[in-house]
Amino acid sequence: MSPSSPRRIILVGCGAVARQFYVPALRVLQNAGLARLVAIVDPSVNARETVARTFPRAGQAASLEQTTAPTGTLVVVASPPGFHAAQTIAAFERGWHVLCEKPMASSAAEAAGMVAAAKRHERLLAVGLYKRFFPASRYIRSLCRDWLLGPLVSFSIREGGPFRWPAGPSFFDRSQTPGGVLLDIGVHVLDLLGWWLGPPSDIKYADDAMGGLETNAFLRLGYGPGVEGNIHLSRDWGTAQRYRFVFERGTVTWKVNDANGLTVELAGAPAAVQGTLVAPHQDLPLLAEPRALETNAQCFVLQLVNVIAAIDGQEELLVPGEQGQESLRLIEHCYANRTLIEQPWLTSEEAAHAQELSAGIPALS
Amino acid sequence: MKIGIIGASGFIGTRLIEHFQLRGGPAIAAIVRRPSSLALPKRFAIETHLADALDIDAMARAFSGCTAIIHTAIGDPGQIERMPAALCLAASDAGVRRLIYLSSASVHGQNPPPGTDESSTLSVDHAMEYNSAKVRAEHKFFAECERHGLVGFALRPGVVYGPRSRWIADLATDLIDGRAWLYDGGRGICNGIYIDNLVAAIVACLHAPDEAAGAYLVGDNETITWEQFYRAAALQLDVPWTSIHQVTRLPSFHRSWKDRAGRAAAHPFVQRLLPLVPYKLKRSAKAVLAAASPSPRNDSWSLPSAPRPRITQEMALLQQCAWKFPHTRAEQQLDYRPPVTFLEGIDRSFAWWRFAQGDVSFAA
Repeated sequence: MSPSSPRRIILVGCGAVARQFYVPALRVLQNAGLARLVAIVDPSVNARETVARTFPRAGQAASLEQTTAPTGTLVVVASPPGFHAAQTIAAFERGWHVLCEKPMASSAAEAAGMVAAAKRHERLLAVGLYKRFFPASRYIRSLCRDWLLGPLVSFSIREGGPFRWPAGPSFFDRSQTPGGVLLDIGVHVLDLLGWWLGPPSDIKYADDAMGGLETNAFLRLGYGPGVEGNIHLSRDWGTAQRYRFVFERGTVTWKVNDANGLTVELAGAPAAVQGTLVAPHQDLPLLAEPRALETNAQCFVLQLVNVIAAIDGQEELLVPGEQGQESLRLIEHCYANRTLIEQPWLTSEEAAHAQELSAGIPALS
Repeated sequence: MKIGIIGASGFIGTRLIEHFQLRGGPAIAAIVRRPSSLALPKRFAIETHLADALDIDAMARAFSGCTAIIHTAIGDPGQIERMPAALCLAASDAGVRRLIYLSSASVHGQNPPPGTDESSTLSVDHAMEYNSAKVRAEHKFFAECERHGLVGFALRPGVVYGPRSRWIADLATDLIDGRAWLYDGGRGICNGIYIDNLVAAIVACLHAPDEAAGAYLVGDNETITWEQFYRAAALQLDVPWTSIHQVTRLPSFHRSWKDRAGRAAAHPFVQRLLPLVPYKLKRSAKAVLAAASPSPRNDSWSLPSAPRPRITQEMALLQQCAWKFPHTRAEQQLDYRPPVTFLEGIDRSFAWWRFAQGDVSFAA
């Protein structure tokens, strides 16, 4: 394939994430001549037809095995997590590269198997943790790593609200999606924290699952002596939807999913500054208007651009499988060491029974 | 014994599931409209079903094996009015005889005349469309129960507070934002019921004899004024009492032509026709309605203003209430005894609120 020809792409899974994110992003790439969707894979004819309305020239198949494409094709795996490992490994065996939607797999062992298969077949494995592409994420990373506001003192993260994602029932079927809000939102949060701060030295975890899947997850993470962060993730009730990082010389607040927005409070200053991140002025001609950095949707597109460029050897992959599996390892650790969070409105009798139900929940396997 | 719960993801349905699951109660079939609503019910390993509360076939399938159905689903006035007929028909098809329908004390209005009880005549011309819809829905419920030979209970709670209640969450927000207010010193009566007391009434309906079928007002034991309710909440949140606006005159709430249009659109006949109207036409009509009532323009030449009270028509009516609804009939017929006191209910409600804000303690 010549460097200028569009990258062939197979989309596996035509559920909510495919419809809401991958279809518009792939349409942009196809119009730009960077990619071409050659096959749509999903066991449901109706689901395939929904995607095919945007990509009428793409072939359709019920399973990956029924699909043909040349070596070097990129497979986007956007099926329920329970299928990720098998589909990814099957793609590598056909000589295809993979961008796997988060969570990367149902367990860390499966994720490790995917990484090993990528190495064995000399294929590229990327993970769909696109929030790393947010300008705000990159800004916070530089603050955490370069100490532009001094060392980090503490942080708090509140993310989530009443669950309105147009998911199918597989989202709540443990055999296909083995975790709740921690596996869903938490995989992004823990990936960003790992990217910004490295691995935590201390982890405490509790949630509200009582025989099923958690809707509220609480973490307390330690990062060496003195730095502690509290995280609350919810599918139950509206949270503040805010990341707040306190540094020695200032505080930075980031509204969830506001890809290019931040609030900065310099310690001792009489007010905070809230605004849109723009390209540094020093890089602009004197009279040029500052250009806002990428939006949320643009970052999703950029993720695909990065994967295609990495396949072509033009860029480093921003979220390789080796790094993508780290947040999954942390989640697995949390589930293995989980405790039931105190729900103070329950009577003592109810709380005791809740403990019994909670103790019977299987860990990720 | 298996109980079906329609509206299982709502705050009443959620607490009902907790109650039955955590007290060794009967098996549950949690029924919700869409997959995303499974989040809260699926904290437990329970049977769940997807069924719209107006879809008779889907509900009948979900009711399979149930001995009773508790209906807690909400909707717009048009949906509220159509739900009881669908419920009764589905129950009849599935062979379920006992139905518990969550009606509302607002069938009597938010500010009922003294002496009001279950024997009072219900008006269908309330100031608030929700109230009238609930009256029509309750009438329909009992008529359909009779038609299908079902045993129907309709509970009429007032202000249901507790974990995940809007009365607690909205009040907390208003108190913290400095927008909470009281009319006439808060002397009006708050006909409140803590969620666990409502659950106790529902459980009583499950076990009551068939002859007890009918409508019941249910509430807390105590007679509480709005001042007492707000004082208890302010104390929980550590909000100074002086930050609550004391209101002596209430705004008038005239029904605008926009409200009238909404009311007309909620009519069952119009609701049946709406699917036939092209989407673009509906969108244009909504755009015209929105354009006809633009937001007032901000005048930049003004003093910075303090938060103003957020006065809604519903709360304005509620705060003028001078009558504590009796639950004597529920006591006599259902053996209803509210197990939780007002102060305990407030304690638990705000303990939940702190939990929802992420203020939790980890086990040692």
